[in-house]
Amino acid sequence: MTTQMTRASAPRTVTGKTSRPVRGTAADVGRPGFAWAVPATLFFALFAIAPLVMVAVLSFMNWNGLAEPEFVGLDNWKRVFDDPVMIQSIWLTLLLTFLGVALQTPLSILLGVWAAGKQRNRAVLSAIYFVPLLLSSTAVSVLWRALLDPNFGVPAQATWLFGDGNLFGAQSTAIGVLAFVSTWQFTPLHTLIYQGAARAIPEVLYQAAEIDGAGRFRQFFHITLPQLRNSIITSMILMVVGGLTTFETVLILTQGGPGTDTTISAYYMYQKAFKSFDFGAGAAIALVLVVAATIISLIVVRLSGYDKMRGTMEGMS
Amino acid sequence: MRRRPNYLAGAASLAWLFIVGLPLYVLLAATVQTRSDYSKGGPLSWPENFTLENFTGAFDEGFGQYYLNTVIVTVAVVGIVLLLVPPLAYAIVRSRSRVTSLVFRLFLLGLAIPAQAVIVPMFYLISEAGLYDNLIGVILPTAAFCLPVSALVLSGAMRDISPELFEAMAMDGATPRRMFFQLVLPLSRGGISTIVVFSALQAWNGFLFPLVLTQSDSTKVITLGLYNFQTEHGINIPGLLAAVVLSMVPVLLVYLFARRALVQGLMGVGGK
Amino acid sequence: MRFSRVLACGVALAAALSLTACGGNGSSAGGGDKIHVLVYGDATNKVEKAIVDKFNKTSEVKVVLDTIPGADYQQKLQTIINTPQAPDIFFNWGGGSIVPFVKADLLLPLDDFIAKDAKLKDAFLPSVFDSAVVDGKAYGVPMRGTQPVMLFHNKKVLADAGVQPPKTWDELLAAVKTLKAKGITPIALGGGDQWPTLMWFEYLYDRIAGPELFNKALSGDKNAWAGEDSKKALSMLRELVDAGAFGTNYDSVKFTDQGSPTLLARGKAAFELMGSWEYSTIQDFDKPFAEKNLGYTAFPTVPGGKGDPANLVGNTNNFYSVLKKTKHPEAAAEFLKLMYSDDFVKQQLAIGNLPTTTNTEQYLDTSANPAYSRYQYDLVKKAPSFQLSWDQAYPQSASTAMHQAVQQFFNGRLDADGFIKAMQALPTE
Repeated sequence: MTTQMTRASAPRTVTGKTSRPVRGTAADVGRPGFAWAVPATLFFALFAIAPLVMVAVLSFMNWNGLAEPEFVGLDNWKRVFDDPVMIQSIWLTLLLTFLGVALQTPLSILLGVWAAGKQRNRAVLSAIYFVPLLLSSTAVSVLWRALLDPNFGVPAQATWLFGDGNLFGAQSTAIGVLAFVSTWQFTPLHTLIYQGAARAIPEVLYQAAEIDGAGRFRQFFHITLPQLRNSIITSMILMVVGGLTTFETVLILTQGGPGTDTTISAYYMYQKAFKSFDFGAGAAIALVLVVAATIISLIVVRLSGYDKMRGTMEGMS
Repeated sequence: MRRRPNYLAGAASLAWLFIVGLPLYVLLAATVQTRSDYSKGGPLSWPENFTLENFTGAFDEGFGQYYLNTVIVTVAVVGIVLLLVPPLAYAIVRSRSRVTSLVFRLFLLGLAIPAQAVIVPMFYLISEAGLYDNLIGVILPTAAFCLPVSALVLSGAMRDISPELFEAMAMDGATPRRMFFQLVLPLSRGGISTIVVFSALQAWNGFLFPLVLTQSDSTKVITLGLYNFQTEHGINIPGLLAAVVLSMVPVLLVYLFARRALVQGLMGVGGK
Repeated sequence: MRFSRVLACGVALAAALSLTACGGNGSSAGGGDKIHVLVYGDATNKVEKAIVDKFNKTSEVKVVLDTIPGADYQQKLQTIINTPQAPDIFFNWGGGSIVPFVKADLLLPLDDFIAKDAKLKDAFLPSVFDSAVVDGKAYGVPMRGTQPVMLFHNKKVLADAGVQPPKTWDELLAAVKTLKAKGITPIALGGGDQWPTLMWFEYLYDRIAGPELFNKALSGDKNAWAGEDSKKALSMLRELVDAGAFGTNYDSVKFTDQGSPTLLARGKAAFELMGSWEYSTIQDFDKPFAEKNLGYTAFPTVPGGKGDPANLVGNTNNFYSVLKKTKHPEAAAEFLKLMYSDDFVKQQLAIGNLPTTTNTEQYLDTSANPAYSRYQYDLVKKAPSFQLSWDQAYPQSASTAMHQAVQQFFNGRLDADGFIKAMQALPTE
């Protein structure tokens, strides 16, 4: 990202001589003014930045939506960090994110590299793999809730695998379902990333390795994986950000239950604000989410840079 | 072919085919059988008596209205993004004002704001503006949250335009406005189609804003319709799955006719 | 003027215009000569629509009926009730469901209006009317009907197993044992919804301790939860769960998606404890079963318990309350009068609801299922106490934690002490 920033803030001039931009000089001829950015900026400020500021203010207030909000200082923050459910929700969020990365990364690398081959059957299969991406998170969750119903879904017909089908009644299986469903939904996306990147690996690297007598595994670990490095970073960041903001899946599949066993932070915020009408605590949790997402975005900027991500995208068909 | 067959990856791909294919089979098989056939045979059964009653049933449940609402939201969101982002990206790439670089940083920061985080004040804002339970109240925040990714994608595309082309036009005395319409827009069509698909997907699949900012049937979008159908008639699985199929039809059409744009749009959606 | 400026101004103007232009036509209170009535969205709405149409024919102030789908009703109501989109009149359950609104000074006391219309108070059963009285003032007029919780059963399954509908707790435990041995889930439970689980707590606590324990707890006496009676109720529930009465996968089953009533109707389960809406729910997908094989009894008695065996729990009644800021209180009052009209009572009965007006009895035979209506009517009339569902009696802000606690007690994540602590931690106001 840094390279872009420099380019954006100190662009080359038309003549290539002027080093300091001065308004109204010849250097500005043919360049758009700041005004071109104003409408989008105002719009974004009104509907994203202003609410963000309001959420920060609200996190220091007590408000139930009925009475006037009142300032309570750090009260909400103390309550939120004293709340075992909140602490648990952070761990659950991290666990689900980790499970997502751990399941999807190896699977999608394997599938992506495989699908990068030019054989015709691979193209057909890739097209089928793609279908989950056409469904919204809501549709995916609704589909799996129906499929996994203990009495009227697949578990009733496959008791050898599912037992009594009490998938949503115990913490371990409920978490398993959430991790599985997001894997089902998002693995195709990451497979596409790796497919594109694998196709871009120069053939000559493999030819040289063959001559050296390197086997398939050595080729994979010494050529394919290092060449996929940028894609791995891009894909993991997408997974982490996605994991942090998972919401529909939990709302529709488990409602955070049984008990609070799958209450992840994003869902807990919704529950605090719109079910218990504790908007102050909800705002505090929301800010925690923003801070976490910001840290990850900064890592994006430092580690990979948007240019690399774009390079990955362009490699795709 | 340069390599021997890769058995491990081949096996993984077949296993994955099963995991992806089985639900899709149930999705298609269940939707064309009657509710009583389904409840006798279970999800894995082969449809005996073909019927479309589940699809007509979905429309009886109001899916026609939900479709219309979702189309309105999607078109409006794409419209707003198309109106706002190309000038913004143009300014980011070409403007020499320091403010513009600040703006760029602002949108980078915006990438990190999850929609959930601002939902409480958003509710307050929309409700004070009198837009609660009104499609406009869904459109505005949805469009706003499409801006950061769209701005990044499009400014990236515009950066690829060779500076020599700008210089040549400047020699001819072209105004920034002429450059925008005659040079920048035509040469960033790829980026524009990506942001169109991206924002359309965001709007079509959007859930949280409609969930919190609307309440009645007349403003319900498809995702909420699915959610309500599930909470009220969840074990009418054929009917529910028919609604799921209906919700993906437009995306499927985009997939068939504009695959590349769809894939790039999806990349922007990322893990959302 | 440069193009960019035009663009900037244009967008700003457009945004401003769309904001102001659309600001006026939201469903705001007192907009023009209309009053907005907000009700719980379900099959009953058609009766309400008919009443509204009738009212609009003669009234100058027109009523607009708005609905919110049932599952979201309560949470949406509290989010909008103090905004410009608030309705003039809204559906509620009395008790804790309106206390926070009364405390926030949002509701109009109806005493003056009731005093003016002598017939009104006499038109409703007194026990029902009182559950919308807060701090000595009436805030609600009963509408729709009463919904006691009863123990439903599948007649055929019980007959095949040679089991009689249980009259006492011990008979219930014995029935559970017999049914389980035959491979039938004794009791269907939509544990995924959590509130069906709560019903078991409500009845056992009432049978063992009487309504006093809960009322004390609700008034802020946290010690009520820690007493012997409370522990006894919990140990009996534990015994029932451990006996396998609900099977093992009840937390993956829901009532709201018609899962648990389907188990009952298909004979996969023998009993279900549910509100009186069980009948219309099953009728919706299996009419022959609802009419022929759906049995219903009162909750079993618990020998030695302090509570009267005739006590009921459930939704005492639904109410209409009026917002203070309404611009048309007279029109609202006129509209509320229709809630005890003969017409309304008949139409409610025809779709299976049971209004609690004193004129209900004479129309019972016109109901969708007269025997069922009469059975419920007698239950309600004879009940010394009709406990409002705990999650409605407590403020809405307590319901998530309450639901989680009952679910966690059933699945063993909370023991009796843990459950008692969780209940003590609930906000009571």
